[in-house]
Amino acid sequence: MNPFNRYLKTIWQIFKKDIRVEWRGRQGIPVMLVFALLIVFLFNFALQLSPDLQAELAAGLLWVALAFASTLGLNRSIASERENNALDGLLLAPVDRSAIFFGKSLSNFVFTFLVALILLPVFSVFYNQNMLNLRLIFIILLGLGSYTSLGTLLAVLSIQTRARDVLLPVLLFPLALPILIAAVESSRLVLGSHPVSDYQSWLFLLIAGNILFIGVGLLFFETILEE
Amino acid sequence: MSERFPSEPFSIEISNLVKHYHHQNVLDHLQLTIKRGDLCVLVGDNGAGKTTLLRILASLIRPDQGEIRLINNTENENSSYRGKIGYLGHQSMFYNDLTAAENLRHYAELYQIPNAQEAAEASIQSVELTGFKDNLVRTFSRGMQQRLSIARALLHHPSILLFDEPYTGLDQKAANFLDAQLRNLHQPDKIILVAAHRPQRMLSFATHIAWLQKGKISHHIPIDQISDFPDLEDYLRGTV
Amino acid sequence: MINKPKLLTVFDILTALTLLGALALILFWTPVEITMGPVQKVFYFHVSAAWAGMLAFVAAGAAGAGYLITRKLHWDWVSLSAVEVGLVFGLIAILSGMIWAQPIWNTWWVWEPRLTTTAIMELIYLAYFILRSSLETPEKRARLSAVFAIISVITVPLTFFSIRLFRTIHPVVIAPGGGDSAFSMTPCMLRAFLISLGVFTILLVDLFWHRYRLAKLNYKNQTGEN
Repeated sequence: MNPFNRYLKTIWQIFKKDIRVEWRGRQGIPVMLVFALLIVFLFNFALQLSPDLQAELAAGLLWVALAFASTLGLNRSIASERENNALDGLLLAPVDRSAIFFGKSLSNFVFTFLVALILLPVFSVFYNQNMLNLRLIFIILLGLGSYTSLGTLLAVLSIQTRARDVLLPVLLFPLALPILIAAVESSRLVLGSHPVSDYQSWLFLLIAGNILFIGVGLLFFETILEE
Repeated sequence: MSERFPSEPFSIEISNLVKHYHHQNVLDHLQLTIKRGDLCVLVGDNGAGKTTLLRILASLIRPDQGEIRLINNTENENSSYRGKIGYLGHQSMFYNDLTAAENLRHYAELYQIPNAQEAAEASIQSVELTGFKDNLVRTFSRGMQQRLSIARALLHHPSILLFDEPYTGLDQKAANFLDAQLRNLHQPDKIILVAAHRPQRMLSFATHIAWLQKGKISHHIPIDQISDFPDLEDYLRGTV
Repeated sequence: MINKPKLLTVFDILTALTLLGALALILFWTPVEITMGPVQKVFYFHVSAAWAGMLAFVAAGAAGAGYLITRKLHWDWVSLSAVEVGLVFGLIAILSGMIWAQPIWNTWWVWEPRLTTTAIMELIYLAYFILRSSLETPEKRARLSAVFAIISVITVPLTFFSIRLFRTIHPVVIAPGGGDSAFSMTPCMLRAFLISLGVFTILLVDLFWHRYRLAKLNYKNQTGEN
């Protein structure tokens, strides 16, 4: 098998394993989903949103819910590798270690994206506007892509500390801020039926975020894990 | 890795290994060479650095200095260094929510073993757990987990075996099973290094003993020469 | 090692003198800006502090890379010292910005790109300290902090860009005219401004030097070396 196929196969294998673990334990997606919904309700009452404000703020609320909920999924995903030290098992395998980063990022990304897809119809009902919009889904793909790759790296980093998973949001949120701003703004403009030219700068920012954070993950994943 | 005189047997050569934690050298310019066919017991107090040494050899820890070389490694030359290592650590490295067979299959795929499913089942059979292969690992006792861990470590037929305190937490029956496994694995083409802070039961079948003290290997001798070194003898008596 | 180097004492005196000089220059020899009045004079130290803070954070990222390449702990002391000093300068920049904002825009806080970016940087580097405090082994702490310092410094431009873009789309009622471009500087003001920048850079180096010595002494103290 040529090295490239081997690399892809390793990513796929880790992804497949994570799906199986998730299917058995159901500790990631359902928890994220319920938490996201709770945030929606909490915001509704905390901010006492009037109907016209709701429509305006739906994009922001969606991203706040996703940003918070995904930290639970990220922590869970890395905790499953820490239990029984399975991460050592991955590191022992004769594979390029960056493939482990890609595999874990991929499963975190897919799980969070699934949560987002389930949230969209719910938001459509709650905020009385159609959010099942292909452009919005594209933006969610871009936003979550960079958010979960940075999140995966920082989750692996924080699990090495004494504070463990508590640390993740503190490290992740300030660094992910530009991504979240870009995601919120472009989602808001898409939902307001603005032309692409109004939000293309945000799309570029999201693409830049993907390149940057995937690159950072490739560069530092092994450094973080080596003892 | 380097090739040297072809007459030398396949061996693993550790030179000048240094690793420090908390301002102290856990390993301090450590030297050790283990040859093919050796079954070496690594003894030393808790905290002497046995685990650190094994984890460095397994490439889980990066040493601060020094190098590890494989000499005259003719067998499966194209597999990478990590592909030659079979490592058994303190923890099982299994996913609690997967079955025994699924866990091993996962590792077989990562090691690019052809027919991963069959390889996984064969290795489960070799540790006599076939009846439990579809049970979740979280339901396994410590002894069963350890047996499955051995299966995982041997899955890809590694030529260098590193076992870290394999007897810890095992009952008499499981320990006897491990003895038998180690005797079986002890073959002329393999290098076996077992860390044990209570090495007594291994002295009957190990070939060499290495004593790790103050970050260095103070003694590395064939097992039948122990009586020539009273301090080592004393130490071993103290570990009973 | 325990003795303070002579050069540092000389440098301390130099820093104090230039700082006093710059202060006198700003207070007595720069004109009072017509629309804003005397409070505009905060600007000289405000921008200089922001500059010094930014410089420190870039240095911290570079020192992080230095650690990862060489694995020598003194790079970690450099990184730590730079972040700590940078945090202080960032705080000065934010507080002086608020002092300026109050009379000019009639509010203590404006979500102006530079001010907001500085505030987020402060949060990032506070997280840096939380990360450090939950790691005990010096080598591991150095390694993980280095990675975080590098990631932090490369996201700062992205943050600044995103907030600026955010601002241009949402014009605010009280328009923050964009800090230093809000008024035109006379040559005299420009000179005072450039001198402030220089003086704050000297102050940064001086404080950093002290902090670095402290980190080194702390390490020697823990290891029991002399």
